Amino acid sequence: MKKVKSERVKRTEEIKLPQMLDFYPLEDEKNTRISLFFENLKEHRLTTTKCNSCGKLLWPPRIICPDCMSDELEWIDLGSEGELYAFTEMRLGAPLGFAEDVPFCIGIVKISGLSISARIDNAKYEELKIGAKVQLKIVELEDGRVFYRFVPSK
Amino acid sequence: MRKVAIVAGGATKCGRREASWRDLVQEAGKSMFDSVDNISPRDIEALLVGAAQPERFTFQVHVAPMVAEYLGITPTKVIATTELMCASGQAAIRYAWACVASGMADIALAFGVEKMYMRDMAEAQTNMTCVLDREWDGVNGLSAPPFFAMTAQRHMFEYGTTKEQMAMVSAKNHHYSTMNPIAQFQKEVTVEKVLSSPMVSPPLNLFDCSGITDGAAGVILVPAEDASKYTDTPLHLIGSGQANIGNVVNNLASITEWVPLKLAVEETLRTAKITRDDIDIAELHDCFTISEIMEYEAFGWCEKGGGGAFIEEGEPYIGGKVAANPRGGLLGCGHPLGATAILQAIDVMQQFRGEVPKGRLVKDAEIAVTQNLSGAANVHSIMAYSRSPK
Repeated sequence: MKKVKSERVKRTEEIKLPQMLDFYPLEDEKNTRISLFFENLKEHRLTTTKCNSCGKLLWPPRIICPDCMSDELEWIDLGSEGELYAFTEMRLGAPLGFAEDVPFCIGIVKISGLSISARIDNAKYEELKIGAKVQLKIVELEDGRVFYRFVPSK
Repeated sequence: MRKVAIVAGGATKCGRREASWRDLVQEAGKSMFDSVDNISPRDIEALLVGAAQPERFTFQVHVAPMVAEYLGITPTKVIATTELMCASGQAAIRYAWACVASGMADIALAFGVEKMYMRDMAEAQTNMTCVLDREWDGVNGLSAPPFFAMTAQRHMFEYGTTKEQMAMVSAKNHHYSTMNPIAQFQKEVTVEKVLSSPMVSPPLNLFDCSGITDGAAGVILVPAEDASKYTDTPLHLIGSGQANIGNVVNNLASITEWVPLKLAVEETLRTAKITRDDIDIAELHDCFTISEIMEYEAFGWCEKGGGGAFIEEGEPYIGGKVAANPRGGLLGCGHPLGATAILQAIDVMQQFRGEVPKGRLVKDAEIAVTQNLSGAANVHSIMAYSRSPK
């Protein structure tokens, strides 16, 4: 029998975080038809779509209305102040890309008739209260993408 | 529609297993086929595999043919994977049931498997954070514990539910799981121990949360009229319900009242022709302690907001109004996503057969339900079972 050879081969053990493990959406017009939402965020405006046909306020923003199938939607401003409906703090079990932020607060914010989940920055769990006012904050990622968060109102 | 029964079931030991996804499949398959004399893998015509995230946890898709290959099955009528996150196994049972009831297949296997332990557990947590809408909820760190933490906070705020009452759910289910040899957790957990365990996402402590679990299980379904060919003690499927409202947080019917669960309960009771008081055993989806409390309410065993008092008064223990999670629940047994509903069904069959240890046996039980929620509790899935044909 011939001798069996053994060879150590190289492979990259450190892999850059692939795009599909990035929690933030692709925001530009090449990747989504709601890029205006993110353009508005860059101007410090939190907006969403409202159906021109049946009047339904939609969250998240859409390109069609699921209630009446109309694609006649308009962008409307949600304002910049909301109210905390519920909140918690991520202490254990953070996903990749969030570990350095731990602990961080997460809340459900009532704003202009919607209930949206969001990070609550500049806050400790013990200091937050249900019903407390929170103010819109825009965060910018290193690659220029933007997202919304809230901070306790002064 | 034909009536359907489960005639065999088998499962792995659940927990942090020193075994691969493929090992788990083979262990459960052998256990199941060994438990029944005259069904061989080649007899299986329909194979439904409940698997929530094999592509994330084990980097493998198209898993139903792998289960078939490893277990020597050559499906000739139906084969598919069913994904409904934490209810993926329940989806497999429902489709297998529909296959047999409709006449599409005469012998169907509902299988469930999940390998959740990874070398890097941050990656596992990442997988669990794309269950809710990743771009609008997951992006905010909203994985299961923070979502159910806020659910608990609102329930406490609106109804006065206490941390102690929630801890009692964990203590109860861990007590029953000490008598379940395949359960992930085999030790008693006291209310004090729950309250002093590390805080995951306030107000939820570690023992308010079900574990990360490896496990697999399978059950074989046949027309009820054929069941006696395979066993004297089949498990009869008598009804089912499933409902979904919304997905992102903004579009849920309510945070503190699970409307889709109430709809699924009504549909289950209607199709099974039973009342909620007929239910002797309820295998509930206690992914978090608050979940089980809200499930007592949605099933209508107590009034809305009364779930905390319901456990404080001992009602969900064996001997109370309903035996909730005498298997040990997800809190005690672990929660291998795709396998969970299959494990629940097998335990109900063993209850009816009198094969479980005395300390968690529900004597003379006739009717059972198994229930699973998935996502932001926006989907609920239930199956009703009976000891006798109905």
